[in-house]
Amino acid sequence: MTTDTDARDRLIDLATDFYDQFAAGRIPEMELPTRTKSNIEYDEESGVWTYGDRTSIRNANSVNGARKLLKATYTIEFLANQLDEDRSSTLRELYYLSESWDNDEAGFSSQDESNDLVEDLEIVTGVTREDFHMRPEESGATLMGPLEIREQTRRGEREIHCQKDVGEGGYQIPNNPDMIEFLDDDIEFALAVETGGMRDRLVENGFDEAYNCLVIHLKGQPARATRRITKRVHDELDVPIVVFTDGDPWSYRIYGSVAYGSIKSAHLSKYLATPQADFIGIRPEDIVEYDLPADPLSDSDVNALESELDDPRFQTDYWEEQIELQLDIGKKSEQQSLASRGLDFVTDTYLPERLNQIGVV
Amino acid sequence: MSFAGRGAYRMTSFQSSLGEEEGIAEELAESQREISIAEFFEKNKHMLGFDSGARGLVTAVKEAVDNALDATEEAGILPDIYVEITEVGDYYRVVVEDNGPGITKEQLPKVFGKLLYGSRFHKREQNRGQQGIGISAAVLYSQLTSGQPARITSRPKGQADAQYFELIIDTDTNEPEIGVDETTTWDRPHGTRIELEMEANMRARQQLHGYIKHTAVVSPHARIELREPGLDEPWKFERATDELPAETSEIRPHPHGVELGALIKMLDATESYSVSGFLQGEFTRVGKKTADSVIDAFRDRHYGRELGWSPPSSRSTVTGGSNADVEDAIEAAVANKGAAATAAFAEAVADAVAGHDHVARSDLVRIVGNVADAVEEDTGRTFGSTVRKNAVAAAWAVVTEGPADADGGGDGRKGRGDGPSDGGDDRRDGDADSPLVTDLYALVDDATSTRKDDETVRAMAAALARRIGDLEGDAFRITRDQLERLGNDAAAFVEEQHDAAFGGTARGNVVEAAWSRARTVPDDPPKVRTVAGNRDVAADLLEAMRATDILAPPTDCLAPITAELVEAGLRKEYDADFYAAATRDAEVHGGDPFIVEAGIAYGGEIPAEGGVELLRFANRVPLVYQRGACATTDVIRSIGWRNYGLEQPGGSGMPNGPAVISIHVASTNVPFTSESKDALANVPAIEDEIELAVREAARELKSYLNERRSMQQRREKQDVLGRILPEMADKVSEVTGHSRPDIDGALARIMNNVSVEREVDDGSVTLVVENHSDASERPEVTDIVSTEPTDLSDGTVVDMDGEWFVRWEPDVPAGETARLTYAVADDADFDVSIGGVETEKLTVNT
Repeated sequence: MTTDTDARDRLIDLATDFYDQFAAGRIPEMELPTRTKSNIEYDEESGVWTYGDRTSIRNANSVNGARKLLKATYTIEFLANQLDEDRSSTLRELYYLSESWDNDEAGFSSQDESNDLVEDLEIVTGVTREDFHMRPEESGATLMGPLEIREQTRRGEREIHCQKDVGEGGYQIPNNPDMIEFLDDDIEFALAVETGGMRDRLVENGFDEAYNCLVIHLKGQPARATRRITKRVHDELDVPIVVFTDGDPWSYRIYGSVAYGSIKSAHLSKYLATPQADFIGIRPEDIVEYDLPADPLSDSDVNALESELDDPRFQTDYWEEQIELQLDIGKKSEQQSLASRGLDFVTDTYLPERLNQIGVV
Repeated sequence: MSFAGRGAYRMTSFQSSLGEEEGIAEELAESQREISIAEFFEKNKHMLGFDSGARGLVTAVKEAVDNALDATEEAGILPDIYVEITEVGDYYRVVVEDNGPGITKEQLPKVFGKLLYGSRFHKREQNRGQQGIGISAAVLYSQLTSGQPARITSRPKGQADAQYFELIIDTDTNEPEIGVDETTTWDRPHGTRIELEMEANMRARQQLHGYIKHTAVVSPHARIELREPGLDEPWKFERATDELPAETSEIRPHPHGVELGALIKMLDATESYSVSGFLQGEFTRVGKKTADSVIDAFRDRHYGRELGWSPPSSRSTVTGGSNADVEDAIEAAVANKGAAATAAFAEAVADAVAGHDHVARSDLVRIVGNVADAVEEDTGRTFGSTVRKNAVAAAWAVVTEGPADADGGGDGRKGRGDGPSDGGDDRRDGDADSPLVTDLYALVDDATSTRKDDETVRAMAAALARRIGDLEGDAFRITRDQLERLGNDAAAFVEEQHDAAFGGTARGNVVEAAWSRARTVPDDPPKVRTVAGNRDVAADLLEAMRATDILAPPTDCLAPITAELVEAGLRKEYDADFYAAATRDAEVHGGDPFIVEAGIAYGGEIPAEGGVELLRFANRVPLVYQRGACATTDVIRSIGWRNYGLEQPGGSGMPNGPAVISIHVASTNVPFTSESKDALANVPAIEDEIELAVREAARELKSYLNERRSMQQRREKQDVLGRILPEMADKVSEVTGHSRPDIDGALARIMNNVSVEREVDDGSVTLVVENHSDASERPEVTDIVSTEPTDLSDGTVVDMDGEWFVRWEPDVPAGETARLTYAVADDADFDVSIGGVETEKLTVNT
């Protein structure tokens, strides 16, 4: 974790770079890793995927480049001030706030633009946005299971048991999970679940209690905080992580970003990714084995599967086999299609069988 | 089509300049016999450009100015033209003055008086006069509407006084009469002034102004001044060049450029007796050889060719006939010449015949003649004309009918009677064994595709032989047209009788094969008098002239404005940002050479709204009316202008935008759509050249616009970056707490600029020229210094009244820096200026 002063200094360093470039009569520029699928590399040591050596230069040699750097300078000033004042803001607030800057050219034209710029600054300074005191909107992802934590809130410390002290909705993961301290736990394994419906089914069926399982609700493509806390649960509590998603190409990417790191935030892979996480299903194999109700693959599904075959993160025997099988059968199934065998099928049969197969239970 | 010149015809003895006009001319002549000149004028004034008072005024000015320009240019004088229009009671007075050579009393009636008089009939020369009907029409119009004479003042060069005339045309006799002839004074050293009063109005002011302005554009060597009641200030057009248009030389007509009527008139008028002499004497590009080619083609059309046949020696033995048969026949036909001479004669003729691939009757006559002469010489025996004639007839019979003793030879041939013209007892009928059939069988077989079955080929050969056999005389003379008719007829017969296909291509091939082995007859061509007296014969001659390949006419009869002066003209009258012009090489249409030139002016003060302005010129005369009917307009509409950077709604039609396009067609005979000579006719050859000329100029426009666009983008980039980067620098210095950095170096680099910076250090001045572009630059650096500089690095210094101009022109390669230095007193002031580099690319910080 970076201190506020460190974070601020690194931002000022970047501004000083620009200053020095101007003073030397050079064109100000900022060097960034190329953020594409072709420039991510497997890091042997940590087992995650991070950016490779290819870089792109963003400079003021064009009108667009100059505008980006101008925005960067204004954002640097804003973030430095925010750190000085020990305040925080959301990414969306930054977008709206830019409207108030004295320079129209520096204002953001969309939130994507401001989000991207903050990521650029993270990469160049090596400071995470959380340490800039920038948060995303709450993603609403939750935990449910035998875990006791202490959360540092703005209104003081709170000690919470993620099973006993929470309602059926569970404990909501805060934006900066590094503010959480794990106190005690009775967790055998953590199950990261893609959809709300399945998460509710598991809670209703008492799966977390029956198996001493921490149910992490991913809520689709997981936010950084969700991935971060998953990693902390794994690393600090030394419990296996199992990912349970739908059986379609988009869900495999959810697993990919939990386990290997996402392409967009590959600079943070070491901090966010849990390479030890296991994929439990729904596997294309399950569709066949359990004869699940299935939909035919659409064209975009097929394209996504083919693109995954090219994705370095999925170039393992396991995934190649599964993806080719899916392309072969031409079908996809949702988690909740397991209900076709009865509401308890997932907790009584499917998960125990599969957990057994992968050696977690 | 239209009259070839202002003198294309006369009132009293109408002449047609060109064949197609004959109708009009005859019509005019017809009416003229019965009506007065005034009536004639009234009836034809639409053709003469005087159909309304508004137009009459424009036409009068146009005729007078064209005349004035021609007169000055012909005399090698730079034109200085003055045009004045004033209201005089109910009438308008038109005054046109020039600084030409003046005019004598004798010339006066010819130039101004005689309606439609001129010397330009048949004159192949580029001239303005080709356009108009003539100043005389304006004189007549003025006289008829106002009753006033034309008032003409003339002062020939070198004369102290001017002469003043009043001229009236007698409408009964169409003869001009000089009413007043007196000496007067005139401030012009030489020139002519004409003053006409007429019923008119100024409703066509726009056309008048257009005509004057466009004349100025197209004649940049002329000074023109216009005064008219609607102008507060005289409208003056200054000269843009002192260069007169190149003098043109007159050429004789080209054989491809005349029409039947004109040809007959030339035949009537020529002093030549033979057609060959006529062709060589009256036309350009015709020498003895070309004349011979034309005459051969003429003979082919007039007399037809003689079909040629294979000599008996080359026939197969089965069908009979051989060299020996020819010999035998000749020996039999020659009497009383002694055995040796007869044998020698017969053998030599037979050998000569055998030496030909095909023999026509005229060939045989020539052979017999030659051999007879030779044998006469050898033997001393006389072979008179009767003997020769008999020998020819005998040999020809063998060639065309087979040996006399062959089966089916001689007379009493069996006819097959299988068609209206296919029966008969003629000696040359469709007998399958006759030499004609045999010969034609080989010909048809050769000329048609191998898929034709033998029976069809045989039938065609027989049918064709029968039809050829029916030709008059025994020489088988036939014209190409006749031959085609026979071929078609025979083929149709074969198709009908034998239910076989014998289509157009096959027919054409057969006719072509037969025609190509036919011989041009040796007959003398008809004499000129015969040709002139017979329209059909003359038509044959004209067709022969057109069919013969003849060198294109010389082009020194044309005087293009030249691309340079087209541009100068536009530059003079249009304040634009860009000009381009192109002159094409001379081309030929119908025997008349022509040159097309085009110019484009773009941007600046030219109005951006609406369509582009199109200026049309023919032989340096602006075309004012009927723009929509003009070939130039059609060409402009057909070009895809978007490709050249002009707007064009819908991708076709007149382009929009701030542009002026000018097109000049110079020719010895400009084809117009109508007698009023307002619009160019759609002649493909000329349209093609117009398009090429316009596209040539348009390509320059395109690259200019592209360059301008990239400069504009560069300016925009400079504007934006020039705003953003200082702001960024401010913010950076604010965030870092340092003072504001100097960003000029970074800016110059971003702009790929050339930057010039001054460093002054203890009396030594350095101008640092950095070239950040990717091409080498050569800036002209001038530093104006208030005290005297010393120790210059290269460069030159000039003392100008206490200011010193220090000048360098360093070559600075891409990415490099040049340092220009000198020493100077400490308190000196500097003022640097940089040339040779586009301002967009220049950053000066001194």
